[in-house]
Amino acid sequence: MSAAVDSTAAVTSGHTFTQGVALSHRAILRFARQPSSWIPATVFPLLLVAVNSSAMGGVASIPGVIPPGTTFLMFLLPAAIIQGVMFGGINGGSELATDIQGGFFDRLVASPVSRPAILIGRLAGAMAFGLVQAIFFQVVLLPFGAEVRGGIPGRLVLLVVAVLLSLGLGSIAAGLAARTGQPEAVQGFFPLIFILLFLSSAFFPTQLMSGWYQRLAELNPITWMVDGMRVQVLEEFSPSAAAVSIGVCLGICVIGMTFATRQLQRRLAVAS
Amino acid sequence: MSSSSAPPIAAHGLVREFGDVRAVDGVDLEVAEGEIFGFLGPNGAGKSTTVRMLTTLLRPTDGTASVAGFDVVREPARVRASIGVALQDAAIDPLMTGRELLHLQATLYGIGRRAGRDRSEVLLDRVGLTEAADRLVGGYSGGMRRRLDLALALMHEPAVLFLDEPTTGLDPMSRLNLWGEVRRLNTELGTTVFLTTQYLEEADELAHRVAIIDHGTIVREGTPATLKSEVGLPTLLIDVDPGDEERTHEALVGVGEPRPARAGRVAVGLYAGAAGAADAVRALDAAGISIHHMELNTPSLDDVFAEATGRRLEGAAEAAAEDAS
Repeated sequence: MSAAVDSTAAVTSGHTFTQGVALSHRAILRFARQPSSWIPATVFPLLLVAVNSSAMGGVASIPGVIPPGTTFLMFLLPAAIIQGVMFGGINGGSELATDIQGGFFDRLVASPVSRPAILIGRLAGAMAFGLVQAIFFQVVLLPFGAEVRGGIPGRLVLLVVAVLLSLGLGSIAAGLAARTGQPEAVQGFFPLIFILLFLSSAFFPTQLMSGWYQRLAELNPITWMVDGMRVQVLEEFSPSAAAVSIGVCLGICVIGMTFATRQLQRRLAVAS
Repeated sequence: MSSSSAPPIAAHGLVREFGDVRAVDGVDLEVAEGEIFGFLGPNGAGKSTTVRMLTTLLRPTDGTASVAGFDVVREPARVRASIGVALQDAAIDPLMTGRELLHLQATLYGIGRRAGRDRSEVLLDRVGLTEAADRLVGGYSGGMRRRLDLALALMHEPAVLFLDEPTTGLDPMSRLNLWGEVRRLNTELGTTVFLTTQYLEEADELAHRVAIIDHGTIVREGTPATLKSEVGLPTLLIDVDPGDEERTHEALVGVGEPRPARAGRVAVGLYAGAAGAADAVRALDAAGISIHHMELNTPSLDDVFAEATGRRLEGAAEAAAEDAS
């Protein structure tokens, strides 16, 4: 029989990159074709920003909370981006669980696809969505006064943080997906992340908090990440602040990727 | 290591345990090149577990197996590159179009972009899905999904094709279409096909050779004709009043040997062949047993299954589907 390709060669030479790109393309298509995945991830952060900026806009008038000439909407821009990324990243992981539950994962495992490509494909989709969201929130909130004082470098920092955070949260969610094989279990992870977001400076300045709440918020790495982004928005482009934000994201990425890789290996260990 | 003389599929003492459950219990089988091999058994018999081991999706607990000449445990990547797999329930992404899935499949198997696109068109045409190629799979019928699944499995022209219950849940027309396609690719391309099924008719129609598996063990193996001839006697099925089964068997002691049947029905293998039906009627009349329905069946694979396991497979698939719904 004449095969259309020497598939064995395909395996041995390794096509991780092209396979990863193809699977990323699929992940993005699936995302785009499921409005229930991206509409809440887009609308909910905007609603929360609208409510918070109206309800707590007076905070901006307290001296020393935000720099003069800035608005509370600008203060909330990083929170909107992070919320959107959280939704997207967790949905990306949840999609892996859907593949496992629906049998598509088995189809991949029974093919000569490179094992890392399975994970790369899923996470690249989440990263692409995180990037789109970070751009979208910056653009859509701009007419309402949410400018970025750090200019283009500052905006780029916001994009980089969004992409890295998507990767980090997406890999934690993917790890849970590989572990449980149940989309519901992955979605159940979301409230925990949301609580961490509320226990940070994302929606309210830490200097106006008090007691244990303030202490927790100050120790919360999400606060460090948000504050680094906020410097770019409210003040100016700051490489050191950017480094803190990106550093926190990279930390989450390392933890997430390690977890996801181990859980995927565990699931694949039942196979030959 | 691969060997050109090795059979496309071979398993020796294949075992898979899940905790205390031995789902596959020492399966030995060998499939010849160009053969359609039917793996027949009821739900839970161990068919899919065997396929999952042969397709590298599940590591055997014990025993050895090779596919396309490669060991499934030591050379899984080479096995995967050599096989096409259409698993149970056609796990096809409903949010993709048929054409997109074929293009993705081509990339996963290392086929170049242009060759993959050309091959996709050939396969779409082959399975009659060209017009539906740009529709989302979520809108496909069950038969269309199965045909797409088959096309996906054929993308890289595999030497060995695994079809795990390919027609379960399909309407009769879709089932016939799929049978035709499997037969055609076996005849035209010489593809070796390992087909699991719980449908007797499917195994009888398609398979050159059949293995019957029950409780993880192969209980019969051979060509459908040989297996049926080994059962020998034609079976007379008689529907009687519930509770009369025992009396009926007693009345037919000299006419035929008892065979398994459902409640309200008695089955006997007629010693005198089809001519023994008249003796049976006379014997039942003499015993005063009312006959509600009677039919004479020449041996079928169901008889082979019944003779081997003491149970009937006929209707079991439908009953299982009803239970599940």
